[in-house]
Amino acid sequence: MTGTQHAIHESMRSRIVANYRPALLWVTVLFAIVAFEAGAIFNLLVEILQGLVSVYPFGNPFAEQVASAKSVSESIPTLLSRETIPNQGWQTSANGPWEGTFLGLEPMAAWLLRFLLTYAYAGVIVAWFAYGYRLYRRHYRRADWTPTDDVVRRLSSHSWGKFGLAVVLVFLVMALFAPTLGPTTSEQNIENPYSYTMKHFDAESGSVEEIYVGDANSGSESQGAGDDNIGPWSYDDFGRFHPFGTLPNGKDLFTFMVYGARVSLFIGLTAMGIMGVLATVFAMVTAYYKGLVDLSVVIVGDSVMAIPQLLLLILVAAVFNGHWLDSIYNGGLLIALVFGFTGWPALWRAVRGPAFQVSTEEWVDAARSFGQRPSATMRKHMLPYVVGYLLVYASMTLGGVIIGTAALSFLGIGIDQPTPEWGTAVARGQPFVATQSWHIAMIPGLMVVAVVTAFNALGDGIRDAIDPQSEGSEGGTSTAAAGGGGG
Amino acid sequence: MGNPAGYHEVAVNLGIERQVTVNGETRYVDVPLWEQYVDFMTNLLTFNLGQSWVIYESTSVYEIIALRAPRTIWLGFWSVLIALFVGIPLGFYAGLNPNTWGDYSASFGGIVWRAMPNFWLAVILVAVLSNSQQLFGFSWQNWLVSTNVVTSPNLTFLRDPALFLRDTGTAVEQLIGATKQILPAALVLGSSSMGNEMRIGRTAVLETIHSNYVETARAKGLSQRSIVWKHVFRNALIPLVPIITAEAFLLIGGSVIVEYVFAINGLGQLFFTAATQGDLPLVGSLAFIFIVLTLSLNILQDLLYTIIDPRVGYEEN
Repeated sequence: MTGTQHAIHESMRSRIVANYRPALLWVTVLFAIVAFEAGAIFNLLVEILQGLVSVYPFGNPFAEQVASAKSVSESIPTLLSRETIPNQGWQTSANGPWEGTFLGLEPMAAWLLRFLLTYAYAGVIVAWFAYGYRLYRRHYRRADWTPTDDVVRRLSSHSWGKFGLAVVLVFLVMALFAPTLGPTTSEQNIENPYSYTMKHFDAESGSVEEIYVGDANSGSESQGAGDDNIGPWSYDDFGRFHPFGTLPNGKDLFTFMVYGARVSLFIGLTAMGIMGVLATVFAMVTAYYKGLVDLSVVIVGDSVMAIPQLLLLILVAAVFNGHWLDSIYNGGLLIALVFGFTGWPALWRAVRGPAFQVSTEEWVDAARSFGQRPSATMRKHMLPYVVGYLLVYASMTLGGVIIGTAALSFLGIGIDQPTPEWGTAVARGQPFVATQSWHIAMIPGLMVVAVVTAFNALGDGIRDAIDPQSEGSEGGTSTAAAGGGGG
Repeated sequence: MGNPAGYHEVAVNLGIERQVTVNGETRYVDVPLWEQYVDFMTNLLTFNLGQSWVIYESTSVYEIIALRAPRTIWLGFWSVLIALFVGIPLGFYAGLNPNTWGDYSASFGGIVWRAMPNFWLAVILVAVLSNSQQLFGFSWQNWLVSTNVVTSPNLTFLRDPALFLRDTGTAVEQLIGATKQILPAALVLGSSSMGNEMRIGRTAVLETIHSNYVETARAKGLSQRSIVWKHVFRNALIPLVPIITAEAFLLIGGSVIVEYVFAINGLGQLFFTAATQGDLPLVGSLAFIFIVLTLSLNILQDLLYTIIDPRVGYEEN
């Protein structure tokens, strides 16, 4: 695959030029699909940029430009935005029609419509990419068959792995489309509820009144006993619909969860990126040079592995409290760094075996005697063999990172307070588990279980797909997956 | 810092400053960082762990650990035991009856069980047990002996085993009470290991059952029972050894969470409070002890391997 990438690219262009119709059609439709969401994509980019600028320690020279770019991005029309299909509205009389919602639908229906449309849109994109892959195989790939085809075929007949993939995709969409999916936004409902107002029909005065979101929140708390409960799939007294109910302080749990998915995903991916790069580089270098290099990485790796990860995280979170590194992404970056720099030995150990195996192959020897640079040999002749295994363990470790992050925020450290994180919701709901407000701790917990199970299932699926003989031996994967068991 | 003289006194005690006399005048000089580091490392390596600063002011770290450790050891002991006695039999059952409904439900249960975050499982378990009277009409608190769901178990009988001779009734009641109190916490702490042991046990049984020597035994006409116990069981235990010792690793990290939720005043909670309150000597010493413990368990695991599996050896041949 990667080994002959260059050659493929050269001729790929000529093959597309020779038979451009399917490719052109595919790209055109892709652009059409993406154009619906252009505003959201641009907005996301601007937000990332904004985050980077705010980190810059010596004043913010570009803050104004970024802010104006943000307002521009918000004015681009998008299909699946809160503005196109609004769900926040108010009744004009006691049982009167809704105003402010999409087509005057009740908020539940409007929100559900937007929710389903978003997932349908994501489904279309995924299906379109799958179609593109088939198109590439039929029209543009030089070889009729490659080993990857078998891997794809085995994965597509692996129902456990497919289940994992489906749940992982649902999780990814949840994180990416968080502002669209929530019945309200994190900024309005969770972070600055007293900077926004909302209208609602007040039964006592018999008129539509405007109040602060924060005031509405304190009127829709879920505290277990008595009337203080807004359960899943219900309205509060202010005409707001809560798919997952509310938190003890009246904030919307569903919004909390979708933004929390973003935080989990960011930490998981950043940590995985660091781990993956370190593990790959070390696996390649140790397998290629062996001997002393291998020994030193073994010693360093074992030393790092001997430190209990959760304890180190607690320690780092406590020591770096108030440090500038702790302020980036509300403390998320710091956690991701700790996971990344302590998690690589496990990942490296998991791929060390395959890397050593491939390093003894004749083609590696041939490349060496032929005078190829070591880095090129590692990249072209060894890495492709190891990438599959890396994916397997990365998928399983990601679940562990998500659990670990949630455990930290459950303890009240790590992610700074108002920022949504799944573990925080469990901690808030802890006193109410056995009351009518059971949803606060139960739903986030079940979601963690589902996502972690899905990542493990996906890892199982990929492993069985790249190496059908491995079905019996699960030793390595279990230890990798157990990394998160500490949480 | 209302008292500057007091500050210097503390600083000298901590080894940050040094008292010198210049022309008959007392002055304080900073100790260079490298010297502090060498001191710190020497102290660690000679197991001179110093005193706590915040949590138990000027108490030796050893004393605090001796006070807290029994509860964590009790918790760890039971979590290993529960995981072993539930996980392995389930795994072996699944392996001996592959591709049956029993196997599927055990395997699926194991996978989901392993994916459950400890903190969430603990929270749910505490809530369910505290309200068992309303939920199931069975009171967990008053079952056998009356206990609370969340408090440290009373472990006096561990410190004073003679109690069993002096006052057998009280001692046995304490033992039952302490066990009952630790069981839910141990179940949570052992959950991920239980799932691991189940999966590994299942595959190990499947592998041994298809091996040649089992075929031979079957051909000889050995009874199913003696095949399972003598040939399959013992060999299938081998791959479980590293899983069991790796559990120690999970226990050390997991004990923080479990002790936090179940309000057990053990080492895990000590570490958490010490870390959040900045009791550096205590945190450093605890981390050091945990690491030493992990390393010794790794060595123990290698030794165990040579005993259980004679094919593994360290002699040159």
